[in-house]
Amino acid sequence: MPAIIENDVLVYKGSNLFRQRVLLSILSGRAIKIEDIRSTHDDPGLREYEVNLIRLLDKITNGTRVELSETGTSMYFQPGILVGGQVTHTCCTQRGIGYYLEVLLAVGPFCKEPLNAVLQGVTHHDLDVSVDKMKSAALPVLLKFILVDDGLDLKVVRRGAPPLGGGEIVFRCPVRRHLRPLQWTKWGLVKRIRGVVYALRVSPTMANRVVESAKGVMLKFLPDVYINTDQCRGPNAGKSPGFGASLVAETNEKTFYCAEAKSLEAGSGETSLPEDVGEECAMKLLDEIYRGGAVDSSFQWLLALWMALGQKDVSECVVGPLSDYTISFLQHLKEFFGVMFKLEVLRSESEDEASDDDEEHVTKAQKVKMTCVGIGYVNISKRTL
Amino acid sequence: MADEAIFDKKKSHHAKRAGRKADKKKKKNEVDQSNLSARQRNPKAFAIQSAVRAERQFRRREDVISKKQHIPQVDKTPLEPPPIVVAVVGPPRVGKTTLINNLIKSFIKTNVTSTNGPITIVTSKKRRLTIIECNNDINSMIDIAKCADLVLLLCDASFGFEMEIFEFLNICQVHGMPKVMGVLTHLDMIKNAKTLKTTKKTLKHRFWTEVYPGAKLFYLSGIVHGEYLRNEIKNLSRFISVMKFRPLSWRTTHAYILADRLEDITSQETIRKDPKVNRDVVLYGYVRGVPLMKEAMVHIAGVGDMKINELSYLPDPCPLPNSEKKRHLMERERQIYAPFSGVGGIVYDKDAVYIELHGSHSHKQEDEETNEKKALLKNVVETKETVDEQMQESGFKLFSGGAVIYPDMIKDDEYLQHVKSKDNDSDESSADEESESENDSGIDQSEKGNNGKIRKLPWDNNSASEAEENDELKDNKTDSEDDEEKSDHNENFSTKWKEKLGEKATMAYFERQKTSKNIMKLVYGDFEIGNKSKEQNQKELESDSEEEELGGLFKKVTNTQKKKQKQKDQQDVDECSFFYSLNKPNLRDWTSEENKQYLINRFVTGKRSADEDASELLKLDDASDGDEELYGDFEDLETGEKHVSEENANEAIKEEGAGTKRKAEPMKSEILDKKLKLKAKFDSEYDNPDDHRIKGDHSYYESLKAEALKQSELNKSVFENLDNGLRVEVEGFRPGLYVRMLFKNMPSEFVTNFDSSYPILIGALNMAEQNIGFVSCKVKKHRWYKKILKTNDPLIISLGWRRFQTLPIYSKIEDDLKCRYLKYTPEHVTCNMHFYGPTTPQNTGFLALQTVNNNPNEIKQLGFRIAATGSVNEINKSTQIVKKLKLVGTPLKIYKKTAFIKDMFTSTLEVAKFEGARVKTVSGIRGQIKKALNKPEGAFRATFEDKILMSDIVFCRTWFKVDVTKFYAPVVNLLLPAGSKNAWQGMKTKGQLKRERNIHNDANTDSMYTSIDREPKVFKPLVIPKALQKGLPYRFKPKERKTTLSGKSPKNIFKDRIAVIKSPHEQKVSNVMKMLKTNFEQKKEKEKEATTERLQKHKKQIEEEEWRKLKRQKELKKKICRHLSKLAGKKKPQM
Repeated sequence: MPAIIENDVLVYKGSNLFRQRVLLSILSGRAIKIEDIRSTHDDPGLREYEVNLIRLLDKITNGTRVELSETGTSMYFQPGILVGGQVTHTCCTQRGIGYYLEVLLAVGPFCKEPLNAVLQGVTHHDLDVSVDKMKSAALPVLLKFILVDDGLDLKVVRRGAPPLGGGEIVFRCPVRRHLRPLQWTKWGLVKRIRGVVYALRVSPTMANRVVESAKGVMLKFLPDVYINTDQCRGPNAGKSPGFGASLVAETNEKTFYCAEAKSLEAGSGETSLPEDVGEECAMKLLDEIYRGGAVDSSFQWLLALWMALGQKDVSECVVGPLSDYTISFLQHLKEFFGVMFKLEVLRSESEDEASDDDEEHVTKAQKVKMTCVGIGYVNISKRTL
Repeated sequence: MADEAIFDKKKSHHAKRAGRKADKKKKKNEVDQSNLSARQRNPKAFAIQSAVRAERQFRRREDVISKKQHIPQVDKTPLEPPPIVVAVVGPPRVGKTTLINNLIKSFIKTNVTSTNGPITIVTSKKRRLTIIECNNDINSMIDIAKCADLVLLLCDASFGFEMEIFEFLNICQVHGMPKVMGVLTHLDMIKNAKTLKTTKKTLKHRFWTEVYPGAKLFYLSGIVHGEYLRNEIKNLSRFISVMKFRPLSWRTTHAYILADRLEDITSQETIRKDPKVNRDVVLYGYVRGVPLMKEAMVHIAGVGDMKINELSYLPDPCPLPNSEKKRHLMERERQIYAPFSGVGGIVYDKDAVYIELHGSHSHKQEDEETNEKKALLKNVVETKETVDEQMQESGFKLFSGGAVIYPDMIKDDEYLQHVKSKDNDSDESSADEESESENDSGIDQSEKGNNGKIRKLPWDNNSASEAEENDELKDNKTDSEDDEEKSDHNENFSTKWKEKLGEKATMAYFERQKTSKNIMKLVYGDFEIGNKSKEQNQKELESDSEEEELGGLFKKVTNTQKKKQKQKDQQDVDECSFFYSLNKPNLRDWTSEENKQYLINRFVTGKRSADEDASELLKLDDASDGDEELYGDFEDLETGEKHVSEENANEAIKEEGAGTKRKAEPMKSEILDKKLKLKAKFDSEYDNPDDHRIKGDHSYYESLKAEALKQSELNKSVFENLDNGLRVEVEGFRPGLYVRMLFKNMPSEFVTNFDSSYPILIGALNMAEQNIGFVSCKVKKHRWYKKILKTNDPLIISLGWRRFQTLPIYSKIEDDLKCRYLKYTPEHVTCNMHFYGPTTPQNTGFLALQTVNNNPNEIKQLGFRIAATGSVNEINKSTQIVKKLKLVGTPLKIYKKTAFIKDMFTSTLEVAKFEGARVKTVSGIRGQIKKALNKPEGAFRATFEDKILMSDIVFCRTWFKVDVTKFYAPVVNLLLPAGSKNAWQGMKTKGQLKRERNIHNDANTDSMYTSIDREPKVFKPLVIPKALQKGLPYRFKPKERKTTLSGKSPKNIFKDRIAVIKSPHEQKVSNVMKMLKTNFEQKKEKEKEATTERLQKHKKQIEEEEWRKLKRQKELKKKICRHLSKLAGKKKPQM
């Protein structure tokens, strides 16, 4: 849905991609207006988790102005300056912490002061990237852009499963004046597989069973598989029962693929077997590896964002097939920053040769080479002395 | 003789044939000594003699090297750079115009009649110049300094450097120092040779202190026939054409354009109706700096922030010669382009275009150049007509010659070449070609890949295809999502996943993977390519829908409707960054054998591609060692066949093997290349044959340099073979392109008051730079500026591209990092300045002026106009400047250590805010505010560390936040009428206003002098406590006071008696009595005197009698003593 520009305000319709829009608005400094937010629904207006997100953004910025209409179906958002610093925020339990953390990660390098955020809520959620995945797959991507790790850190203090949550994480992010351009066209081969299996308020055997089944799948491909179990007790286990797994595949070029699976929510009536969870997680990881690319498919958009916000130099990265989310993010990037990526589908020779039979054709997932010139974004909030 | 010779003959030398030395020599002679260096022949001579000296030498060398090192920067000059901006700057009447004329003549051998605005000329095969003259206005000087690459600073040598020169140099230093060359003119005015020499020398040294020691200063020794000497100009032009430039940080992050042509395309009718109506203005110029983005905000210096409504590139009006063979420029390649000055054949007037014809026969010899010019002319003339007819259209029809430009833009579109779907057969492509020929713009070609899919509607245009493919992908998905959304929207998001839906999603996913569609189109939809504007697209869209309706046998839903439907579907979908956003697809079972095959090579344990596999690489190495072995026996690993080396059979086998092998064997030359590269690398690392000295480790610096170089090469190469239209989209309008910018709603004054001697600088604003916030910066008053600057006095600041007036507040950072308000700038030190203005990146330099008015009287008074310089520190949306505030109160009542204080606050609320604050008395007794009192409003209870006195004053030290006034007014000098462009007047200072209106300040009554009358201090009597009195010695004890019978002190005894008033008789009596008394007293006195006299007499008498008596006694005693002694003398001799 392309934006309509009125007086340099981007006007959008619908609540979809709310987070992208607000995030890009803050980074670009352009005001946005979102109309018709669930206007035809029974429960119109912004959801609690969206309002919560705005609260969080208000905490890390200075001078942000938000105007909501009476019904909550339209919102005007005038961004301020990113301040960062020490923030404590209780996230809405309708969404996972990942929903908020992704935003913090995206804006983290551009704050005035290093971000030190304590987020409380649901650490593992079906709709959102879990904190484990963020830690293992998203932070290395940022590291590529800032090169020196001075305090980039994500600590899971407590885990919390939906619906009640009770988890807590600490996220620290250093600030940079600008990001360096990145060329990342090789991702290498998977050299090791690690993982964490957590069990919250359930029998410890659950975790072991998950490990067993996940390992069973992965060992068919690689011998170097280690999966830890995280047995949480007492207050560290959050408020709701649940268990799940996240597996990380590391390549020899420091690319991390991560997949995760978790049990069904406690109150849903159905139950999930630990074996199924383990196997699902492993399958997802294999799928991710199959897709390939320099980053995990969930963080393609982060990669695109940081590429676009680089200096006025060419960045080049190869990723797996673009997800829908990334596609809409790229569209938004063009609207907010006017930056357009050159996208090419890479085809290896073998694919050409093998184009005769269809089966061979799918051996390699589509690879997209993203090339762009950074817009020369500088962190204007940072202070120089 | 012979004998002698025999005797003299010495033993001849026998070279050793065996032994240690012979071996050594033999070994030495084995190598050919002739071409060895001295060092190699005799290494001992070069051995280190003194370790200390060697160490020193090494250290010095390293020092010198590291001094030379700069942080490597990515070189951003494009392949075809924009013309270099040469600005000719100087005070009036120093010969600027003459110099420009002479330079142009020396470069392109033509005379120009007028030099207005920028003049672009081709000077060599690789270089173009844009020469611009700077008029004597500080606004122009600032703008020129921001865009000039090279400055020719003219100075009248007979007069010396004037203030303008120093001002300009200062402006340059602030905004990024361009290359500066000084030029001394009017040297012939100095007649005396010696004076001339000394003048030159002093001026040179003064110039060096300003720029840098050794800066180039030219001498133009005189004027002959109104021209400078030819060889001097030639020299100057040579220097200009070999000049090298260093990148400046502001210009390597911002795009900018120096406009060299202006057109007003507002329709004449609207102007006739309202002459003040906002105009649509088209500006032309070369993009400089960095690529200019299409939707960028720009700032036009002297006008304000504008949005570019349309941006497109044009063929270069002054192109570099393309033939690489010749050494020199052809005569016709020496082009000049200066629309404002009327050279190059065209003069633009306000309502007409004049064309200069070279004599009556010129049109006969039509060469390339004139053809081009004609075409250009024609376009322009056409434009003018269309302007009158229809204003909207004109913008796009302006270069209907664009038909020449556009089609070839798209031809070699790279991303299109990837589009090789199977269905795209020859018949398809022929259909494509048809459509190509029908449409003049290139975008339709991008459907090459998609046309195959949308066979039903061959006429369908781009948007349709996009929608189609998106729909195909997402229709199933979105439908399903929608169902789901409706059914269980408020329930948990994650509970129900219908198997079928999942399958569908999976199918869609794999389908997408299979089809190699144009991915850019998928993402960006129908983006505009190159010069196509939005409106054009819009039109096409409209035509689409019409067409569909026409061919509407099938009642197909129009694109727009479909899109709308899609949008509606997606409008409220929950946001999720996973690959399978909401649907859970059925994942492939990767454990099954056939699927496993796809994955197994993704792991380190799997097989690697040919260029990575160690065994393959080894094999390659072996192969390259011996040529014969290259096609020696090898085993194809996958087919398991054994190949025997047979030259002829090889080809066939290779063809077979190639199908299955991952990568074909590299060619022989490739291998050789690789080996050479490796060898070179090894050599550079391990031996340095020419220099045997020990070298320091510069690997870090080298790696940085290599990285920058690699990046710059990548920048240049990555879009090189991309078609121009798409390239502009992705990269922006790269520097060197000649662009046309349409600005809508320009103030009419810009056009009506246009003066081409003022530069039009269009600077692009990066992200967030169009926003306004509070800027804090460090600033120092210029030491040549006479006055100090006062807080909240309006100041004109030149920052980034902008010039604006604002109200700054000065402050100082205290030790506790608090910004403390300063009323005036301190002298000779930096302080902080805060103002409300455009957000600009940190470390950007700025300068401040108090006025930009060029009134000579004012300038004379000021002397140096640049008031302060500094750089930006921080941007924020609020400020924290504080001012010290002392609240004063007095005690109302004092208990032991508690006291009630009044007069400090006026209300209880205020007190409540200050509860717990520290207070202090003048004598230094500290305390704390406790709680407000009820009775006197604003009084409070406070506790102190000691009892305070009623006479004490109580202070409360606080900090008062000072707000920065939100005032920001761009200097709009380009909008002013022609004569007064240099007289922009913004907000006046309070002082100025008062002076103008003759308002005097009322003196503060507190500050006035009054006579001080002090009452004498009355001290209380000392009271000594009784207990203490007891112990005191008597003399220190306070004595008992005299007491009377009544118990009153004798002093006050008469105090309360009633006064007696006597009757006249009584008065008489008392008078008489008084007289009698006086008489009596008189008498008594006389008696007393008489008595004393008598007494004295009597005393004398008695004394005399006494004396006689004594005398008599003495004589008697004498007689007796004589007698006695006589008696004694008689007796003595007897003894």
